[in-house]
Amino acid sequence: MASNYLSNSALKAINRIGDMMIPRNGEFPSFSEVGGIAYIDDLVSYAPPADIKDLNLLLTILAFMPNFVLRWLLNRMENSMESSGPLAPIFRMLDVGLRGLIFSCYYTEKIPASYTGKKPLDIIGFDLTRVED
Amino acid sequence: MYDYIIIGTGPSGGNIAHNLFKAGANILVLEAGKLMNKKTFPRTEADTSARLYWGGGIEFDTDAKMGFLRTRVVGGTSIVNQCLLDRFDDIAFNDWKAESGVNWFTNEQLAKHYDTVEHALALHTFTANEMNRNAQLFTQSCDKIGVKWGYLRKGQSDCAQERGNDCMACLGGCHRDSKQSSYAGYLRDDIAAGLNIQTETEVTQIVHNGNTVTLHALQQSKPVTFQAKNIVLAGGAFGTTKMLLQSGFKKQLPALGKNFSTHPQFMSFGLFNEEIHAYKGYFQTVASKDPNLRQKGYKLENVFAPPISAAMLFSRTGAYHQEIMRNYTRMTCIEVAVRDENAGEIKVDNKGKLTIDKPFTAQDRRRRDEGRELIANILTNEGAKKVYASPFSVGLHLMGGSVMGTDSAKSVVDPEFRVHGYKNMFVADSSIYPNAPGINPSLTIMALAQKLSDQLIGANHGI
Repeated sequence: MASNYLSNSALKAINRIGDMMIPRNGEFPSFSEVGGIAYIDDLVSYAPPADIKDLNLLLTILAFMPNFVLRWLLNRMENSMESSGPLAPIFRMLDVGLRGLIFSCYYTEKIPASYTGKKPLDIIGFDLTRVED
Repeated sequence: MYDYIIIGTGPSGGNIAHNLFKAGANILVLEAGKLMNKKTFPRTEADTSARLYWGGGIEFDTDAKMGFLRTRVVGGTSIVNQCLLDRFDDIAFNDWKAESGVNWFTNEQLAKHYDTVEHALALHTFTANEMNRNAQLFTQSCDKIGVKWGYLRKGQSDCAQERGNDCMACLGGCHRDSKQSSYAGYLRDDIAAGLNIQTETEVTQIVHNGNTVTLHALQQSKPVTFQAKNIVLAGGAFGTTKMLLQSGFKKQLPALGKNFSTHPQFMSFGLFNEEIHAYKGYFQTVASKDPNLRQKGYKLENVFAPPISAAMLFSRTGAYHQEIMRNYTRMTCIEVAVRDENAGEIKVDNKGKLTIDKPFTAQDRRRRDEGRELIANILTNEGAKKVYASPFSVGLHLMGGSVMGTDSAKSVVDPEFRVHGYKNMFVADSSIYPNAPGINPSLTIMALAQKLSDQLIGANHGI
């Protein structure tokens, strides 16, 4: 898997964080098992170049964090809505940004053919009908 | 040299471009987004966020507690909204008059412009047999509790409900051209007839030269320049205000950027034992229409969210998140939309980026909390096992920043839609809203655009 916009370290970070946010659990496959990250360029390519640069930098830093630090950070982000102080807005933006990437690559119709399990959208029962003519 | 350059193609710009084009004016329309149509609109939720919105999906206030959804596509907001078209009531107009000093802010004065817009679009008021289960539970519970509700009116022509079409798909642009966006309702046919429109063109600076106006823009990252006798700014609250701010108009217009409001929306989900499938069919057909709630400053909307958005709203990950998402089809949803105070301010930083200060005032919080409490009652009354109140608020109705008024010290645009002191620079989009009306803003944006169109065509003797 490669991206025209994100480095290999950044992609690894997304898979690591994705598996922490969405681990394998019952009928839910883990984030990395599904492999929706293969289509991440479809999402990132529309972002301004400066934002992509910042995202690469952030994800590369996260990629080298030990698991326990990363888990602490994710927990801090997840509980940031009620937090105050100068860092709280940064944690909130990180939270929405990372969850946005992860959920967009997971609850998606775009899944590689190599994944043969039940798709997350099927598991939650989402079956949108689009009548086109 | 164009007679008019119209910047933006949403409910305002689309209407004005259509009217001036039909009147034979020499016009150019500029739009920062791409031209898409029913064949090319995104087909997935993730692609919708990435392709149709500024900021790759969401922009934040400086405190990152509120997210704003702002579109970048021909048709603007009208491509992605539910096209719910309501006239304002006397409460909204009286508050506008009081704040702005503009005496034509009345239903009577705007009636003919509302009429013109409504006549041009296909409108549909929902009926009982079009409600999905989410709406049925909402209305049943409202009836028991004593909350008045009503059917919504939507701009749509043929949603193919009898063939099972799900309207949630049109949140990424209507794949049937049924939704009466400014593209489907006005611009599609005009473009086919030769309307001069340049897309992917973002105006970066406005230079006023007296009788003409020069626009500097980036067109797919390349600098371009345009000149016109008149310009109409229709980029919405953020777009129009940003263009004026970065062009240096703040010096003459101290109110520029101020009085921003957004009707913050807070969604609560109810978990039921039965299958609801709230995303199916027409997913938004009813809302509260209760004079008491109107007086209190909030309304309840019976809505739902597609999976990625729903996952975002719950704010949690891991097993807790999966447990919620496993119950996606057994959820109902109601949101409280707050009629917020116009205490926000739109700014541009030294790198040219928008920054939005949007304090959530004590009155805003009180309205949100009252609304949430009422929603919890409605959901549990009808049998919800659990209620999840999302901590996030989303601003979809971006209003103010270049407000209309009689006093140039407190407003940006005069009662004839001119930027104070500039006879050939007009604004008629949601940025001129003096304060939050508490009612879906789209129809009134179009009615105001119609009023400006009539004014411009009349001043030029039919052009």
